[in-house]
Amino acid sequence: MQPAQALTTSPVATPRSHLLMGAVAGVIAAVVALAVGELVAAIIGRAASPIVVVGGTFIDATPEWLKSFAIDTFGEHDKDALLLGIGGTLLVAAAILGMVATRWRVVGVVGVAGLGAVGAVAALTRPIAMPIDVLPSVLGAAAGIAALMLILPRPAATVTGVRPAGDGSATRRRFLVTSASFVAVAALATGLSRVLTPAPSAGSLLAVPVPDEPAGPLPAGVDLGIPGQTPFVTPNASFYRVDTALVIPTVDVATWNLRIHGMVDQELNLTMGQLLSRPTIERVITLCCVSNPVGGKYIGNATWVGVPLRDLLEEAGVQAGADQIVSRSVDGMTIGTPTSVAMDGRDAMIAVAMNGEPLPPVHGYPARLLVPGLFGYVSATKWLTEMELTTFDAYDAYWVQRGWVQEAPIVTMSRIDTPKPLSQVAAGRVMVAGVAWAQHRGITAVEVRADGGAWQQAQLASVPSEDTWRQWSLAWDATPGNHRLEVRATDGTGAIQTEARAEPFPSGATGWYSTVFTVVGA
Amino acid sequence: MSRRHMFLGVIAAGSLLMGAAGAAAQSPAASMVAGPMASPFGAACSAVPADGAGSFAGMAAVPVATAASANPLLSTLVTAVTAAGLGDTLNTTQDITVFAPTNDAFTALDPATLAAALADPKGLLTTVLTYHVVAGRIAPEALVGPHTTLQGGDLTVAQEADGSYTINGTSHIICGNVQTANATVYIIDGVLLPPMAPASPGAMASPAASTAP
Repeated sequence: MQPAQALTTSPVATPRSHLLMGAVAGVIAAVVALAVGELVAAIIGRAASPIVVVGGTFIDATPEWLKSFAIDTFGEHDKDALLLGIGGTLLVAAAILGMVATRWRVVGVVGVAGLGAVGAVAALTRPIAMPIDVLPSVLGAAAGIAALMLILPRPAATVTGVRPAGDGSATRRRFLVTSASFVAVAALATGLSRVLTPAPSAGSLLAVPVPDEPAGPLPAGVDLGIPGQTPFVTPNASFYRVDTALVIPTVDVATWNLRIHGMVDQELNLTMGQLLSRPTIERVITLCCVSNPVGGKYIGNATWVGVPLRDLLEEAGVQAGADQIVSRSVDGMTIGTPTSVAMDGRDAMIAVAMNGEPLPPVHGYPARLLVPGLFGYVSATKWLTEMELTTFDAYDAYWVQRGWVQEAPIVTMSRIDTPKPLSQVAAGRVMVAGVAWAQHRGITAVEVRADGGAWQQAQLASVPSEDTWRQWSLAWDATPGNHRLEVRATDGTGAIQTEARAEPFPSGATGWYSTVFTVVGA
Repeated sequence: MSRRHMFLGVIAAGSLLMGAAGAAAQSPAASMVAGPMASPFGAACSAVPADGAGSFAGMAAVPVATAASANPLLSTLVTAVTAAGLGDTLNTTQDITVFAPTNDAFTALDPATLAAALADPKGLLTTVLTYHVVAGRIAPEALVGPHTTLQGGDLTVAQEADGSYTINGTSHIICGNVQTANATVYIIDGVLLPPMAPASPGAMASPAASTAP
C-alpha cells in the first residue's frame, strides 16, 4: 500500500481492533528484534546486543541537558532504570509504530530500520568496537521488520472500508497465528543466546591459587569489636561497587588473556595459566573510590591474591619515558596509573582472588589491577585484559577525560561510625569508634574532640600493614544534651588530615568529619 | 496533531527517555545512586535548575546537605546547617525526610527568633533544624498525618482541597518528593518551629529539655 493512497482514500477511520493488532505487532516485532540481536551478539561472541551498546553509549555520553528529565521521569538513574528505560521506551515506540504502520507500512519499515540504525551507530562508537558489532542491530532490525510486516493486519479493508463477511475473523486468525509464530521465534532466539553466553557465575572455573607468599594470619586486635563499628575486613557481598559497566562482563577464563604492550622491550601475552605460573602474593589492601564524600562509604578492605605487577613489568622491560600504564578492561574501560608508583616496591598486583574466593563478577572476574595507596579510578581496573605502557602526555584515561586529575593518591581521611548521626545515647561512658585511612602511608594517630573542645587521642587498633584502614576508639564521658564530635587522623608522614573542605571532584574529598547526636540523662 | 506528527513526537520523546534513563555517571560513584521511582511535584519545582549540581539529577547523586548547597533557593538553610555543624550529620544519616525551608521562608521568620537561633547553634538552632527531619523516606502517598521528627516533636501534614499540602497548618510544600542520595526532600515556604516542651523523652534535646528525661 502506498501511504499517499491511504491518505487520500480513507474517509473511514482505522478500526480499533486493527490499531490494537498494530500495537501488538509492533511490540512483538521489537521483542523479535531484541531477541535476534541478543542471539547474533552471542553467536559472534561480542557484547554488542542493541540494548547493551545503546545503554553503554548513554552512560558514557551523559548529556547534562537530559539529566533533570531523567529524574523527573524515573526519580533515580541507576543501571536497572537505564535498562528498564531503554526497553520500555523501545516497546512504547514499537507499539505506536505498529499502530501507525497499520495505515502507512513504510513508516513501520523506516521506523524499525531507524531504531536498528541507532543500535548500529552505538555499536560502532563503543570503545572496543569492531565492524562486526553492527550485525546484532542490523539483523535484529531486519527480523523486526519481517515480523511487523507479516503480523500486521492487511490494510486493504481499512483503506476501502469494504469488509466482506468473514474477513474480520480471517484477519484475526491470521494475526494470532503469525503473532504466536514470532513470539516462538523470539523465545527460541532468547533461549539459544542464553545457551551460547557463558554463565555470569563463572567463578568456579578459576580456583583460588595458593599464594607463594601468604599474608599470614591477621594480627590480634585488628577488630576492636565495638558495636556499630565497621568490621576490619569487608565481606565480598557488602564491598562497594563503583564502575561504568552497564552489564557485568562475563569472561571465559579459558580464553582470557593479558597483553602487556606499548613502550616495552618485549610484549607479553599471557593466558591465566601462564599468569598464575608466576609467583603469587597474598595481601590485605583497602580500596577507596575518589567519589567517596567526607563520612562516605565507598571504601572497603579485603584480602587479595595475585601476581606482583612489578614482576610482569620487569619481565616486559619498561622503556625510558613510559610514565603511564593504561590498563583496559574487556569492555573498553581505561584507567591510567603512574609507572613509577607501580614499580616502587609497593604490593601492586594483578589480583585474581578476594577474601578467599575467585573475584566475584562485579569485582572484576577473572582479574583486576590493584595499587595500594591510589584511588580506584587510577589503579583498580576490573575485568583487566590489557596494559599499555605509554605517557601521560600521549593519553588521557576515561575519568581524566572527564576532568578528574591524572595522578590521585589516597587522601588521609577518618570517619566516626558510632554513635550514629542524630541518634540518642545514654549519658555516661560512651565508646566512640570508627576507621581512618591513608593507604601506603598508614595511620599513626586519630584524635577526636567534642563541641570544639580539646583534641583527645583515640586508641588505635593493630594493622597488618600501612596499606589498610585502621580502626580506632575513644572512651568518652557523655553529658546530657546535643553534642558534636569531630575526628581527624595523622598519616605515616606525620601530616594531619586537612580541615579544609573539598568535594570529591577532581582529586578526592577533604575535611574533618563531624556527627551530631543527643545524649540523654540516665 | 496529525498522526504522523504524533508519531514523530513519540519517537522524539522516546529518544529523550532513553537518553534520560542513561544519565548515569559524571563521577565514578554517580551510578551507585538508587531511590524510589517517583517525580518531584509542586509549582516551585520549575525554579530548580535544569542541569548542573542543583538540578534534580545533580541532587539525586549526592547526599542531602551537599545537594542543598547546590540549590540557590536553599542558601539560608545551608548557612544555618553549617552554623549548627550539621552538614556531615545530615549527609550520613541513612534514609531520612527533610522539610527544607527556602530563603524566603527564613526572611519571613521573626528576625528576633532567627537571631536567637543563630546565636545558639548547638542548642536552639540545632533543635529547630532537627525538627525539620523525620526518620525514613516519606513518599507523597504517606505524607498526610503526624510525623515524629528527630527533634522529638511531631509535625502534621494535611492535604487541602486543591491537592496541595500544608505543614502544621501554616507552611506549604512548594516542591516536594525531591530525591537525594540519602534523603527525600520537601521544599517548604515556612520555617517550622517545634513545640518548646519536648514531645517525647529521648528526643533531640532542646535547651529547655536538656534536663528532662
